[in-house]
Amino acid sequence: MARAKTEQQPATGATLISMVGLSVAFLLFMAFLNVVKQGNILSEANLLFAALIFYAGAGALYLGFGVTGTESYVKFASLATWAGLLANTGAAVHRWYQAGHPPFASVYEMLLSFVWTLAALTLIAEKRYGVKVIGTVTMPIAIVGVVLMQLLRTDVKPLVPALQSTWLHVHVTLAMLAYAACALSFALAMMFLIQDRVKTETFLAATSLFAVGIYAAILTRFENWGGLSVTAWDAQEKSEMFLSRGVRLFVTIPDLGWLMLIVLVAVAAPFALYVIARIKKNDAFIVTANRALFVSILLQALALIFFFLRAQNGSYSSLDAEGLYATNLAASPFILSGLIGGIFASLLYLLLLWRRPDLERLLPDADTLDRITYKTIGIAFPLLTLMIAAGAYWANRTWGSYWNWDPKETWAAITWLVYAGYLHMRITRGWRGRRAAYFAILGFAIVMFTFFGVTYLLPGLHSYA
Amino acid sequence: MALSFRATTRKIWHTISAVKTGVVLILLAVVFSAAGTVILQRPMTDPEEMQRAYSPRMLHILDAAGLTDVFHTRWFIALMVLVSLSIIAASIDRFPNSWRFFARPYKSADENFLRVLPSYAKIPVPDEERGLMAAERAFRKLGWKAERIVRSNSFSLFVERHRISEMAVYVVHASLLLIFLGGIVDAVYGWRGFLMLTQGQQSNSVALREGATRNLPFAVRCDAAGEETYTDGSPKRWWSKLVVLQNRREAQRKEISVNDPLVYGGLRFYQASYGSTGKLAQLTLTATPSNGTVGARDINLALGQTMALDSETSVQLAEFIPDYIVVDGHVYTRTSDVANPAVHLVVTSPNAKAKTNSSVNVWLPEIPGLGENQQSPYNFEAKDLKIGYFTGLQVAYEPGQWTVWAGVILMGIGLTFVFYVVHSRFWVVPVRDGLGGVTLWVGGSANRNRDAFEQRFQKVVEKIKEELHAELQTRPRRTEATFAGK
Repeated sequence: MARAKTEQQPATGATLISMVGLSVAFLLFMAFLNVVKQGNILSEANLLFAALIFYAGAGALYLGFGVTGTESYVKFASLATWAGLLANTGAAVHRWYQAGHPPFASVYEMLLSFVWTLAALTLIAEKRYGVKVIGTVTMPIAIVGVVLMQLLRTDVKPLVPALQSTWLHVHVTLAMLAYAACALSFALAMMFLIQDRVKTETFLAATSLFAVGIYAAILTRFENWGGLSVTAWDAQEKSEMFLSRGVRLFVTIPDLGWLMLIVLVAVAAPFALYVIARIKKNDAFIVTANRALFVSILLQALALIFFFLRAQNGSYSSLDAEGLYATNLAASPFILSGLIGGIFASLLYLLLLWRRPDLERLLPDADTLDRITYKTIGIAFPLLTLMIAAGAYWANRTWGSYWNWDPKETWAAITWLVYAGYLHMRITRGWRGRRAAYFAILGFAIVMFTFFGVTYLLPGLHSYA
Repeated sequence: MALSFRATTRKIWHTISAVKTGVVLILLAVVFSAAGTVILQRPMTDPEEMQRAYSPRMLHILDAAGLTDVFHTRWFIALMVLVSLSIIAASIDRFPNSWRFFARPYKSADENFLRVLPSYAKIPVPDEERGLMAAERAFRKLGWKAERIVRSNSFSLFVERHRISEMAVYVVHASLLLIFLGGIVDAVYGWRGFLMLTQGQQSNSVALREGATRNLPFAVRCDAAGEETYTDGSPKRWWSKLVVLQNRREAQRKEISVNDPLVYGGLRFYQASYGSTGKLAQLTLTATPSNGTVGARDINLALGQTMALDSETSVQLAEFIPDYIVVDGHVYTRTSDVANPAVHLVVTSPNAKAKTNSSVNVWLPEIPGLGENQQSPYNFEAKDLKIGYFTGLQVAYEPGQWTVWAGVILMGIGLTFVFYVVHSRFWVVPVRDGLGGVTLWVGGSANRNRDAFEQRFQKVVEKIKEELHAELQTRPRRTEATFAGK
């Protein structure tokens, strides 16, 4: 993606805008032809597809802005974001109307809401705080979100009794808002570090470690003969298969584990080289590390392609039950987002590596970023508190106790404690700048673990989401 | 020696009340809680699964370290107590300073104080009085109330808003302690258990989690329980009609469902599960006489019930097998699910030869070798089966929960004040220079959100200038000498 953009760099502002505009128009026209055949314009799928097209257009323009710094891109990019947000709102409202409950009950519905919040926050950050380049990060995430939604189930599932509560909506809305605010504070902290002249190779090491974390998490399902276990998918029910309540049935895709292991080594290589460079104080290793990261992107893409080919509509045997079971990409949303997330982070690093001076010119100054990061956490922390409180109240009405030490609850409390630590260090001990930024990044990493990791790795009462 | 003891106490106090200690304790709590989510926990896991997951040696070590029940071990509770102590100590340590700040606000400023403020401005004015009046008017128009402070030889102005915000952090700390207190009360005095009732049954003994039972001072009866399903068969709602019986008299009645418990005497009864008992509630049969003299009729039977079919013959429902299987001439049930049911009827009729009553075993469906269906004076056909259902109620006694909710609400209020209510202060001091001119020094400070305050400060300064300008336009220099001589 980043490479394609560099080739476009000599093009003037008008060229990219008209190219993106034309492709958006073309895609909408094609979609319209398809819709005419179906005879149903305002369906959820169509609205979501429109949102995808607009977000993609906005993403391309924001990336163009991130790379070239042409101001006029931003205007059209936010216009496209507005259009995408509108379509996204339509899809969410349609879903709400059809299901009879706000769209927070399944992974699909939560993604729908998450992408919506992300787009809305992007516009707020841009208009209110002038952080124009933020779309470069958030729009690709929104695109990945919408693509994931296309793979996940789309049919309306009735709510199980425990979820039929107003508190579900209160709890999940607060969670989404809090997590989105945490995501924003993370992005701002990253930008602060760029403005604060943190060495580019430090970002390289961080990117590499992030990818290592993803592949290590994926490889927790590595079976000893080289397979990779994924959840089985029931095509009729359009849901994951369960052995018993809360216990998913896993099937093993042969040999995919080896590939993931190779990619793990490849993504770990830049970090290893970085460490060697630090120990030997020889910058030549950094150059090699950058090359290794480039190689790792190719391998990561390969892993994604193979995962896509093997997991989509394949049938494999299971270690826990006899016979062959089908699986589907929709059964492994976390692996899929992990793989895409790793590639995305690496590409963002390439953007930083190649275009750092431009980025520094475009971003607000370090002090402003530091202050906005703190402000965002000042919004996120009360939201987290309320989210936990609403969840506790609801749990008290449903499970019979306000606190069950369920892994999701415990991790929510851990998130809360980490941000509480951040606030104390900042307010009473005057932590500013880098240390505060690292703390904000740690906080967001824990948020992501609470959101994805706990669901994927640790079973518990929160088995629906 | 006494001094060194004092020094040691002071040192300990400083260590406990330090923010760094608090943060380290928080991080420790984080690490142990995280361990508690990764390692299987005994209260939530079957013992067999624990044994499958860990080797006996490993399990022994984990048990010894308390890692299989992190959240209830002594040292985790000790850690929580330390966190509470740290919060209390830190609050006590800082409170006097904040209180002084709160109770005796610094109102009377001079130019040396204003000079070090992050925001200050100088406005030349014709004289002290008119300058201060213009400033007062400006504040009033912006919705602030200015207070006149008398100094030894002149006046100054002090304006402030939301001083209470300085205290908010203590509110948050107090709320956290309230939540902890509620949690401790529940951990010590609270209990949770399970009560299973079938339709019509009443009980007052609750099976506790630890395996003991607890007798309630009242009984709970289940009048009815049921399940509603969506069209696709997945459950939509479980409900039970409960009656609380105090001294055998009805004290309360409620239909509970998931998310909507019954509360009585501080106890909460939650709908936790619902299912089939595998036992028969009612069987409907069609009985037709074998000789065809009388027509067919429908009868309803409960388990063990006997019913007369005519003046001489009666039928009893002797057995109900939910999922039958015949092994070596005996009937067994495989599961308690009603998958393959069989009923055993005993038909009693007078035996003409023996002059006594004789019984005939009838099995539905007919089981060869056991059933004597051919000899029965009646033929039976099963029409309908009603299975008994049980409702599983979770019972919780949590006397500390109101403390927890009070803490939560207090925390909401405290956090709102901490993050969104700004204590802002303005001082307006007229300063005379050596040449007889007067300058209004305006200074401002806010305890948070400084950039927003800076904008507000600029607005205030603009407004004062505006008012001053208006003043000079309408009323030319009038009382020039009033203060000049002082």
